[in-house]
Amino acid sequence: MTDNFLLSNNLKYKTEYWISRILRICVWISGSLMTAGLFLGISFPSTVIQFLENPTPANIAGRLFSGSFDSSTLMFAGLLFLMCTPIFRVITAIAGFIAERDWRFVFVTGIVLVLLAGEIVYSLFIK
Amino acid sequence: MPINSIISLLLGGFAAGIFGGLLGLGGGALLVPFLVFFFDIPMHQAIATSIIGVIATSSAGAVMNLERKTVHIRLGMILEIASVAGAIFGGITANYLSSGTLEKLFSGLLFVTSIIMILRARKHNVKDTVYTDGYLPASFYDETGKKKINYTVKNIPSVMLVSVIAGNVSGLLGVGGGIFKVPAMHILSGIPIKAATATSNFMIGVTAAASAFIYFAHGHLNPFIASLAALGVLAGSMTGVHISGRIQSKTLTWIFAVVLLGISVQLFLR
Repeated sequence: MTDNFLLSNNLKYKTEYWISRILRICVWISGSLMTAGLFLGISFPSTVIQFLENPTPANIAGRLFSGSFDSSTLMFAGLLFLMCTPIFRVITAIAGFIAERDWRFVFVTGIVLVLLAGEIVYSLFIK
Repeated sequence: MPINSIISLLLGGFAAGIFGGLLGLGGGALLVPFLVFFFDIPMHQAIATSIIGVIATSSAGAVMNLERKTVHIRLGMILEIASVAGAIFGGITANYLSSGTLEKLFSGLLFVTSIIMILRARKHNVKDTVYTDGYLPASFYDETGKKKINYTVKNIPSVMLVSVIAGNVSGLLGVGGGIFKVPAMHILSGIPIKAATATSNFMIGVTAAASAFIYFAHGHLNPFIASLAALGVLAGSMTGVHISGRIQSKTLTWIFAVVLLGISVQLFLR
């Protein structure tokens, strides 16, 4: 089913449309990062470095932005991006419900986001 | 890593994804035993990899289901509160359990899953009972029946309770939990099976994300293994959802149920 179908039914601003767009983009980005990392790792095994014994999103992002496109960093970046995909869909759902002025579901979806955020903070910073 | 291991991981992920896409499951029920038996990977690492696979299945499947408008996002978000809370508890608990205990629990889960699948396969031809006097009215176009289906949702608290359990099992054992959520939504809430399957598929990704970070923070995620499996699952689930209309799902469900029963016994005796 194409975007034209959605547009022709005047659904452009529907929450479903935007979540599906975000998901599609996220899947492509994470898939590309993992594929690039695997390709590097298989083609040039020396680029598989073991620095990420205890990886954190901060050191993965740091290495990525400093231009260290080694195999492990790219694979971890792809995996983290994939792990964040459901969070992006919750955020997009909140934005959609705000656009629809459905405040009850802004609240409900907000609780899901708070739970996820709390769990991430606990896992990465407190545990 | 040897090339045959790379190909095996991709194919294993692909098979898990294709079954997941065809049957509306996360694929973890197949991926975890595959990793444990063929690669001798520790249970915690297999579960972490499977959780990544569940997110991949959900993300790839949700794109198509959202475009088909079969996902009930509002119901999904209500149930997600219960499911995410259960998953967080499950993820934390798993890190205090030994590999052996998790294997036994997984074996029990596969046994229950296969029994539920057999019961569902036997009732495959029963028509949907749709309620119109419940909450959260929704509709979708049924391409098989060529008609618009209008429905509402009943017994939300009961399905929330099942979602807590499904979320807990997901976080603890790395499966999607759809095997519990789909029948609960269909039987307790009266949601058409297509909408229940699509909503469950949408939910399992969010539930899995809740425990994914716990496994990541404990260092259970091997980037090489997880990336290979995730790419295989992504390709498999896209193919599965795509061909789902052309495959006899009843026969497939029977085969899958028998395979899971066999794996369950083997895992228990390990």
